[in-house]
Amino acid sequence: MSRLKIIGLIVLGLILLTLPLFVSSYMTQIAVTTITYAMLGLVFSLGIRVGLPRLDMAAWWGIGGYTTALLMKMGLSFWLTVIIGGFISVVLGAILFSLALPRGMIAFFTFGMVLSMAIYQLFGSVPLFGGWGGTTGVPFPTLFSFVFDSQTKIYYLGLFFLGLAVCVYYLCYHSRIGRAWDSINSSIKLARSVGVDVVKYRLANVLIGNFFLAVAGSYFVGYYRAAIPSIFSFNAGVSTVVYLFIGGFGHSLIGPVIGAIIATFIPEYLRFAQTMQTVLASVVVILILLFLPSGFLGIIDEKLLPWLKIHKWFVRLNNWSLGRTGNSEMEGTLRK
Amino acid sequence: MVLLELKDLCMNFGKLQVCSDLNMVVNKGEIHSLIGPNGAGKTTVFNVITGNYRATGGKVIFKGKDITRLPPHKIAQLGIVRSFQHTYLFQSSSVLDNVLMGCHMSSRAGAWREFLHTPLARQKDREARAEALEIINFMGLNAQKDNLAGSLPHGHQRALGVSIALAGQPDLILMDEPITGMNPTETLEMVERIRNIRDRGITVVLVEHSMKVVMGISDLITVLNFGHKIAEGKPDDIKKNPEVIEAYLGKEDQ
Repeated sequence: MSRLKIIGLIVLGLILLTLPLFVSSYMTQIAVTTITYAMLGLVFSLGIRVGLPRLDMAAWWGIGGYTTALLMKMGLSFWLTVIIGGFISVVLGAILFSLALPRGMIAFFTFGMVLSMAIYQLFGSVPLFGGWGGTTGVPFPTLFSFVFDSQTKIYYLGLFFLGLAVCVYYLCYHSRIGRAWDSINSSIKLARSVGVDVVKYRLANVLIGNFFLAVAGSYFVGYYRAAIPSIFSFNAGVSTVVYLFIGGFGHSLIGPVIGAIIATFIPEYLRFAQTMQTVLASVVVILILLFLPSGFLGIIDEKLLPWLKIHKWFVRLNNWSLGRTGNSEMEGTLRK
Repeated sequence: MVLLELKDLCMNFGKLQVCSDLNMVVNKGEIHSLIGPNGAGKTTVFNVITGNYRATGGKVIFKGKDITRLPPHKIAQLGIVRSFQHTYLFQSSSVLDNVLMGCHMSSRAGAWREFLHTPLARQKDREARAEALEIINFMGLNAQKDNLAGSLPHGHQRALGVSIALAGQPDLILMDEPITGMNPTETLEMVERIRNIRDRGITVVLVEHSMKVVMGISDLITVLNFGHKIAEGKPDDIKKNPEVIEAYLGKEDQ
């Protein structure tokens, strides 16, 4: 990870931490949705890094959400339901994916898609889950005597979960586990030949993802105080893929966060378009695919920094912080 | 001492028989070449040994253990690593990262330790780095170690392919045409390195088309033609073997 990225992360972190001070409570509410989507995007982008496109996300998100909704109504603590939801989604995922993953990427992809649709139907039609109207009347999340009863408090709760997810993925990525993931992403054949158990490492990636998907679901229900099938529909899973394209694939950890921020805020300002919103979003995605294949962060790397002529300055700063001397300009340019 | 043994090995793709009743013994510490005209089934034999193809008959025995039905990563963990005919590399990573990824097996510290970056995991990581640098140095890639694998010239890519294989600390390395496409200088260097690899105690099985190289470097040669073994012996015997000459040059009266 380059120093420039670290600086970027710190700035992003500061913006995220102080956001509620500057914006209206309505915007904070949107920010809460953004955080949820950012977590989904994070999981998706990490799945992509082991060659697995996840179209099953909404299923695990929903399982977390419904676990929290049902158990909190029974009087359990929010935190306990988060853990239980995560546990269910990991265990169920382990059983289902250990069957699907040895069959390869296409099997995983198809399986996930079907699973997501099936679970959506299940939430809607099984009376236990409250039908298509969903489970409502979920109490506020609490931590000991502290009640998360305002948008701002919920926002910080979300930041905590998002930060946790980023930390876990960061730790994985900067270890032998991450190297094995990278090798699978780069060439499965070669990865196998150096002894990487592809199925095992993919399963680990997917299950870590499952846990955070469930956490995102629990969190969303904690904020929305209801679990409704339409929130956890297949479409919701597909939207996150769109965010990821907008944010930039090359930046696994912050790309989805940026993408989700842009993609949540822009439609809010496009409210006037109402029904055309989806169509406009598709046009934006197509334009991005055509002209910004590396996403929004990509254009900052490739276009904005050189154009501002501050690139050299960043390179120098970078070299200085690494304790390098001499003229090694190439080394400072961001790696994709 | 026998390291690898193929017993009546058969490999069919539908009706096409690529390899039939192949018997072969690779001794520890030797450079054993597998030669034959195009389509003789050499690469197929490699794919069967490493578990990429599942043999339709016969057995592969490595260190006295039947490995015929094991998946590729298990076979690699037992100590057989290959370098590929087509340059398979981790294209968008640096040379150093490529070799580090090759160190997967030797840098194991346990999933939780790796995740939490405990002292043991970090020490393993440092060791892997040191080993990767040593291998890069050994293969003459020192000046390229921060370059992207995809941007290297052909000769260096080949050397990197072998480096990744070496990083797996194998007992047996299977090299599929490591010299093909190299210029004379690169070829000489590579031949020297293959010898050095053997001197490190790693047994080498080599598939190569250049007869000059094969004859110069091999301790033992096995000749395949249409999936059958037609000869086996020391380089000098192979050179004189009429069946081998016929397979390569065709019958005199044709």
